[in-house]
Amino acid sequence: MPPKGKKDQGKGKSGEEERDEPLQAVILADPFETRFSPFTLEHPRCLLPLANTPLIEYTFEFLANAGVEEVFVYCGAHRDQVEDYIRASKWSAKSSPFSRLELIQSTSYSIGDAMRDLDSRSLLVGDFLLVYGDVVSNLPLESALTAHRARRAKDKNAIMTMVLREAGATHRTKARETSPVFVIDPQKDRCLNFEQMPNRDQTHYLSIDPELLSTHQELEIRQDLIDCGIDICTPDVLALWSDNFDFQAPRKGFLHSVLKDYELNGKTFHTHIIADHYAARVRNLHAYDSVSKDIVARWAYPLCPDSNLVQGQSYRLQKGNVYKEEGVILARDCVIGSKTVVGRGTSIGQQSVITNSIIGRNCQIGRNVKIDGAYIWDYASIGDGSTVTKAIIANEASIGRRCTVEAGALISYGVSIGEGMTIRGSHRITRTKRRREQGEDIVRGDPDPAIVGQNGDGFEFQDSDLDEDDELVDNLVSEGPIYNLSNESISTLNSDSEAPTDFQLPQRHDRSATSSFLSVGSADSQHAANFDHDASSSIYDSLVDGTESANIQLELTALRMSTNASDHQVRRAVVSSFVKRITQLTKAGEPLKAAVAQVFGLHKELVERCIFDKTSVLKSDQVDFLLLLQADLCHKENGDAILLSVATKLVELDALEELGVLQWWEDGKSSENEDLELVRAKTGSLVEFLRLESEEEESGSGSEEDADE
Amino acid sequence: MQGATIQAPGLSTYLKSLKNTPVDASVEHFISLLKRRQIRNSRPCAIATTALLLRVVAEFKGRDAAKLIERIKQVGRRLTSAQPREVVVGNIVRRVLGLVREVVDEHADGQTPNGSEPGHMAPHPQHDSLHRPALHSSISTFSPLRHAVVEPTHAGIYPDNASDVSEHSRRPPLLTSHTSYAPTSAAPLVHSLFGLFSQPADTPSNTSTPTGQASPNGKSTLTALNLERLADLHRGQSLDLKGEVMEGIRELQDELETSDKQIAEVALEHIHANEIILTHTASTTVQKFLMFAARKRSFTVVHAETYPHDHTATHGILLTGKKREANPDDDGVDKWKPLTDVGIPVYVIPDSHVFAIMSRVNKVILATHTVLANGGLVAAAGAHMIAKAAKEHQTPVVVLSGVYKLSPVYPFDIDELIEHGDAGSVVPYDDGDFVDKVDVENPLYDYVPADLVDLYITNLILADTHPRTSTASLRTTTAPKILPCSHFPKEQAL
Repeated sequence: MPPKGKKDQGKGKSGEEERDEPLQAVILADPFETRFSPFTLEHPRCLLPLANTPLIEYTFEFLANAGVEEVFVYCGAHRDQVEDYIRASKWSAKSSPFSRLELIQSTSYSIGDAMRDLDSRSLLVGDFLLVYGDVVSNLPLESALTAHRARRAKDKNAIMTMVLREAGATHRTKARETSPVFVIDPQKDRCLNFEQMPNRDQTHYLSIDPELLSTHQELEIRQDLIDCGIDICTPDVLALWSDNFDFQAPRKGFLHSVLKDYELNGKTFHTHIIADHYAARVRNLHAYDSVSKDIVARWAYPLCPDSNLVQGQSYRLQKGNVYKEEGVILARDCVIGSKTVVGRGTSIGQQSVITNSIIGRNCQIGRNVKIDGAYIWDYASIGDGSTVTKAIIANEASIGRRCTVEAGALISYGVSIGEGMTIRGSHRITRTKRRREQGEDIVRGDPDPAIVGQNGDGFEFQDSDLDEDDELVDNLVSEGPIYNLSNESISTLNSDSEAPTDFQLPQRHDRSATSSFLSVGSADSQHAANFDHDASSSIYDSLVDGTESANIQLELTALRMSTNASDHQVRRAVVSSFVKRITQLTKAGEPLKAAVAQVFGLHKELVERCIFDKTSVLKSDQVDFLLLLQADLCHKENGDAILLSVATKLVELDALEELGVLQWWEDGKSSENEDLELVRAKTGSLVEFLRLESEEEESGSGSEEDADE
Repeated sequence: MQGATIQAPGLSTYLKSLKNTPVDASVEHFISLLKRRQIRNSRPCAIATTALLLRVVAEFKGRDAAKLIERIKQVGRRLTSAQPREVVVGNIVRRVLGLVREVVDEHADGQTPNGSEPGHMAPHPQHDSLHRPALHSSISTFSPLRHAVVEPTHAGIYPDNASDVSEHSRRPPLLTSHTSYAPTSAAPLVHSLFGLFSQPADTPSNTSTPTGQASPNGKSTLTALNLERLADLHRGQSLDLKGEVMEGIRELQDELETSDKQIAEVALEHIHANEIILTHTASTTVQKFLMFAARKRSFTVVHAETYPHDHTATHGILLTGKKREANPDDDGVDKWKPLTDVGIPVYVIPDSHVFAIMSRVNKVILATHTVLANGGLVAAAGAHMIAKAAKEHQTPVVVLSGVYKLSPVYPFDIDELIEHGDAGSVVPYDDGDFVDKVDVENPLYDYVPADLVDLYITNLILADTHPRTSTASLRTTTAPKILPCSHFPKEQAL
């Protein structure tokens, strides 16, 4: 204690004018998701325009409003763009309210990784704010901070305060797909339990530890809160993240687990529920739509277009929430309806009608165009006689004459649509696609005339993650159907690394963690389902960390015992984590062979320890293992190649026997559907080879083989 | 550690930071505070602007008046464009510009302090008849708000060289406190409302330069300064431009500080025994005014609570004498006993009851956000309704406003002047259906046309040789219409 006191004294002396500790904040500029695809292929999410102002401006405004002095921005993809933007913005100018503004580049693939990375950097000295790069809020934080500090002074274990906004049962700005459920002790504002309820499952059950009921006089179970992702954390939070290397998502993972383990760690979380002021996150396109509306309708005052937050803006408010910048060119008989924002240099032709829309700068809107509820970014052009409803048209895109863009369509940067085309609501059109193998690199794809018409440029965007298409599109349109589970396989677990389980995004999490496993066909209990996720992620993390396989085995066994999981589940966990590791390695540039050799070579034991049929004739365990592997690789790029090399390696290592492979090949399940067939095609040669070999052996020295066994 | 309360930025943090930040950073800082509405309302804006301009002048290098004017203008333009609806910012900038011109003028005439050209002092004939002065040719296109973006193209009409003032003789020079020379021929000025801005001079003698009285206690220092300056002039033309302008700005700061008090001093002449006074908003000016009257008279106050913008502050000011919301900004200044403590009955009514109660009200006293060029007000929402109701019942409406709130903005486009606030304070944001389906508008201000106002009371006294006897009548005016236009001779377009 004495040294600490001294330190404080020293600090006090050095800057008496200053407050003892500057308030620090961490912005997670990249939430490691693909919810804004295809726009995020070319630009980082935090620079997408929301009401013609880049998203991150709102976050900075919020922090400046709260009196934050030091800001750390965590970037993921498109770091250079973020950096350029921030460097040129007023926030890094001398007059910036922040005394320190730092960008941190990390190689992390999830929020969990980012937090652990942050912990290792030890930049944060005291309590800090953790926000996303897409928070829009006009909330003054003093009261929350004071409450947090008061609690903290009393109890060292009160490590985090979450700021939540009250909103009624139905609200456009609330997360639609899922509703977070908070169990709160209102007397102490303590959060006791957190569940993410996926709406689509129509589940209405929440399991609460009976102890909570007996130890607390009052409990509030609330589903009416907007979780705006503003957390006031103490450095202990980071330490906790580091201790639990398998946490990925801040709510579903971190909060949920730490709350569950209250007995163990004794840490408490608190909530600060606000009933006034505005707070929301632009977490997906649906939220993009509703937050835009909120801003235009001045719910987020003073964060309105006419506050001209960015230098050089000159929006002015006119009746009916119409915001126009200087230098807008309007034809005499065009109609600008209410709740519209029009940027500088935009021209709108005769008899065009624009309502409820946000139009960027320097756009060309032709004659007789009807635009309703659309978001049109800078330098876009829309030809005469076109109709655009509830769509997003990105920078420099051009829509030909007499086109119809239906509700929900997304048209990305630079796409051009030929004359007279109809773009349906489910279309996402882009000019670029991501090349998987090389990470962030994007390449231009060839135009698809069926969609963009003659002379058009662009093609339908295919997300390699191939989930969420529907959701993305439908979310922009307010009455989109609730996302239904597509035929997901284990393969989504792989995409975790890229777009891991954010708490706002739980269906993805659920799918990868639970449903996807379940979809393979087991009817495990919820309990055991947890095992799947926990086990595979813990194995994966161990693989990444390079833990000895003996230790991994130990942990796995412990997990298996505690959840009473079946051998089948153990195998599945092993398979999925190994595959995930392999894909990660190959993505990092390692040749496939080497990656397979590395993973399986080092951890052969693990495979062996989950296969118990070496002595029997019917190699059911090996067959099962291979089936799982096959299913897992089904939807992966290079799945077939991986399957081949893994199988070869395993045979080479004697982890699998020839007989097992052959039995798998014969097994009906391995050729059940097209996908499976496709994936195993390459392995055919191996099987052929093995068959020949075994035949030879059989004919030559069959007894010898028996002896070997 | 406990002291580490994080304070949200606001006026007080700004003023604190002003001391040790470079000027340009301070300008940026102020702009962002204005944009974020962390400094809002007339008085805080005025205080911050003067403090900032003081710094700007202090850090100005060089002795060239034209450059100084250009510099102030440039800062002013940026400030007004940050939040064009806070017109007070522009007013203060104009006052300071006027100050600079005055200092230069004076210097030009320095050898013969009282020999100012007759053109300066003789207002255009129209002025005497209290008509609107001839509009400057550009005024019809003039809307100060637009200058946020469009640079004034006609600025070139006015050469910055202050010695050309005489050419624009129809616009009397700005006569601010100490820099103003008492008119040699006081007659036209006294009757002219332009004299509003000149301080009462003790005697318009040849030798004595003006004795400003911006603040009662500032007098002695002022005369000292005048002597100094005279000495300066004698020493030979070395003009301490910066020093004088800064001195002037400090006086302006004094003026801001004391304006409420000065306005309050005439309260007894307007509030009579047993009257029923209706007012609204938590304006400190009005509260001080009523408080002053309450010392000698007993009357009744009916207070419209101005829900939803100002009701917490209103309740606070009535119950504890402190604006509950107020940050520790106006430390000390806005702490006083509530009216009820001195035995004045106060009834708080919702705004909707104003008309019903108006028949019993003897006088309406309004605070305002600004007074526009035509005498119209931009005042807290609800003011228009109150004024209308008062008109209906022939109840006199008195407006209290510091001179800094008089602005040359002409309300060509009323919508442009009205700030629209947070829709959430009208309808709770929780109400999902409402938010989704209903458009909510929440104007923070009302435009009150000039013909609904009967009397304006300001803090500066019309030129008068006997301030003690007739201040009241001269401080007040029923026709401020020509004031703001001519109030800032050359800086209409910043």
